[in-house]
Amino acid sequence: MRVNPNPLPDLISAIQQTQQQINTDLQQISSGQSVSVPSDDPAAAAMLVRNAGQTAAADQYLRSVDSVQGEMQNADSTLNSVVTTLQRAISLGVEGANGTLNDSDRASIAAEVQGIQTQLVSLANLSYQGSYVFAGTATQTAPYVLDSSSPSGVNYLGNSSSNTITVGDHFSLQTNLPGSQLFSSAGSDVFQAVQDLITSLQAGTNIDSAVTEISSAYQHINAQRVFYGNAMNQLNSQQSFLNTETTQLAQQQDTIGGADLTKVISNLESAQTSRQATLEAMAQTQQTNLFNYIK
Amino acid sequence: MSSLNASLATALSGLTAEQGALQATTNNVANANTPGYSREVPVFVASAPIIVDPLTLGSGVTLQSIESVRDPILESRIQQETQTQGQWTALASALSQTQVNFTSGSGDIGSAISNFFNSINQLSTSPADLSLRQGVVTAADNLATSFNVAANNLAEQRTSLNGSVEQSVEQINQLTQQIAKLNGQISNLQNVGEDAGTFLDQRTQLIDQLSSLVDVSVIPTDNTISLTTANGTALVAGQQSFQLSTQPDASGVQHIFAQGNDITDTMVSGQLGGLIQARDQEIPGIQAQLDTLAAGLANAVNQVQTGGYDLNGNPGTNLFNAPPASGTGAAASLSVAITDPSLIAASSDGTPGSNGNAEAMFALSTQGLIQGQSPTDYYSGVVFNVGNASANANAEQSASAQVLQQLNDQRSSVSGVSLDQEAANMMRYQQAYSASAQVITTINEMMQTVINMKTS
Repeated sequence: MRVNPNPLPDLISAIQQTQQQINTDLQQISSGQSVSVPSDDPAAAAMLVRNAGQTAAADQYLRSVDSVQGEMQNADSTLNSVVTTLQRAISLGVEGANGTLNDSDRASIAAEVQGIQTQLVSLANLSYQGSYVFAGTATQTAPYVLDSSSPSGVNYLGNSSSNTITVGDHFSLQTNLPGSQLFSSAGSDVFQAVQDLITSLQAGTNIDSAVTEISSAYQHINAQRVFYGNAMNQLNSQQSFLNTETTQLAQQQDTIGGADLTKVISNLESAQTSRQATLEAMAQTQQTNLFNYIK
Repeated sequence: MSSLNASLATALSGLTAEQGALQATTNNVANANTPGYSREVPVFVASAPIIVDPLTLGSGVTLQSIESVRDPILESRIQQETQTQGQWTALASALSQTQVNFTSGSGDIGSAISNFFNSINQLSTSPADLSLRQGVVTAADNLATSFNVAANNLAEQRTSLNGSVEQSVEQINQLTQQIAKLNGQISNLQNVGEDAGTFLDQRTQLIDQLSSLVDVSVIPTDNTISLTTANGTALVAGQQSFQLSTQPDASGVQHIFAQGNDITDTMVSGQLGGLIQARDQEIPGIQAQLDTLAAGLANAVNQVQTGGYDLNGNPGTNLFNAPPASGTGAAASLSVAITDPSLIAASSDGTPGSNGNAEAMFALSTQGLIQGQSPTDYYSGVVFNVGNASANANAEQSASAQVLQQLNDQRSSVSGVSLDQEAANMMRYQQAYSASAQVITTINEMMQTVINMKTS
């Protein structure tokens, strides 16, 4: 059988193929990625899109956790100050209930409790990054203002709503307690109790029951702090979950789209060897034919 | 005397024939690297014998013809495979440009979708914060831009494919004209019994070129050939060629006409087939998916947005300008309707600190908004489709290249010029020529002997 007398086109196409392999390998080595365009591996490219989406979401959840944590820590430490302040009010009340005190002694204690009232208003008007934390969702207005005509001595301008925020694909949590629940809860109204203490100190009557009222408000605030404690615990564990998830997603991304450098380098070496061999074969071919021998 | 003269004539026929054969070898060697050239072989035939009773004497050799060595079936297989090759090459090249719009990186649609929803989640942590609201507006703008850029690139690519279609048609017309002209030259030669090898080679070469552009069938007729497209549209009939023309439709898409008929949809193979497939099927398919995604996303966001309240407590208005009801062109025209960040309807109750509606908007990121899929999942499907189409075209293209190479090898093994073979032939012809010359010398000496015999 007659054979193809001109193998050069075959050799050139072989050279082109190995050259293409070399280019692909070099590209993978330099980028560290096995998928640079979707056609390299369509399924992997699609998975990488979803992986990138999940990674971006996890990163965002972590940022949101950070923001919420900041706000909650502020709220919690402010409530701690409220608790301390109420303890001081209780001591003052117990002191004022002492029968040996005269009117002017009680009046000066009452003045001190009025100072506490102002202090509590200021604490309840905690603002974090431009928003009032204890105003429900009416965060652009200070929720408490002193008002001597009000029975509790203050007016609550906030609402009773709260916000919930998503910090995981299937995880969201409440981020705030409105002042109406914290400070103005019926039966354990902080401001009502303080106002009642001031009034009773000034009048010299019912001081004991006013102190009891403050104690119950104190217990109420302490109980409400559990909400912030729990939420911050949840945020902490969500944060470590998200960090783990981010790491896993990064590993997954590497598994799907990362270049296997050991394999790529070995491919590159074999492609280069093959190219070398083909080039040598080309140089050898057609060096001689019968014409060279005709004298 | 008469038989010596006859011998002289016989020896001369050998000289002439070997010279002619050497001409074939010379031509072969000269054309060793000419694309499409088929080697020529001399056809020697023993001349009719002279009967001188009782003897039958040979009268030498005739170089009957010089024929090109070719395998018509192989050539037609090469033409078919060239069509396939042309189709997949055009498609693979178009799709490799298309998929650049879908590589991951900054500015791609996938990250723009993520960034948009992330900005909403961030806003959720502090819904009255104007800088976070501005973040949402910016992210929405970027999202719209990423859709616009991809959609515009696809539209531009279609326009440039349109130009390629026109160019291909022009090339086809030139080739069919040349083939028709060659048909004339070939039948002129064949009518007088000559071998038209060189013209046949040229014609084969032109048909190969034509095959890479369009799906042609070669139909041999009396002494010539006709060419038609796969659906039977005539391109060449003997010495006449039929021109194709292009005409744009209302949307500017060039249609191909042959003798008044629109044959665009019948073009399936060859470069033209590949270009049309990319222009009229693959790219519009991707455009439609982008439109579905853009419209689905914009409508869902608008619906949530209009169900909430902005920073001033007013009912929300559309965040994105409403996409066309049909969805067609949604990706190219996606744009943000608001510039004032306070108009983002994050609140579900009208108070500025409420994030209920922002949460509802963020929840869209994982909802099955578009054909039951979340926006990111749907987009990942688009990326898969684009990548798959491109990978498929690449694979088909390289498979077809391999087949074509094998066929060309085979053709070369039949028709290619082997310098070894030509050198050997040259030696054979030279030796035979020398031998014939020697015979003439000998006859001459014999004649001298006869002449000398008479005078002495």
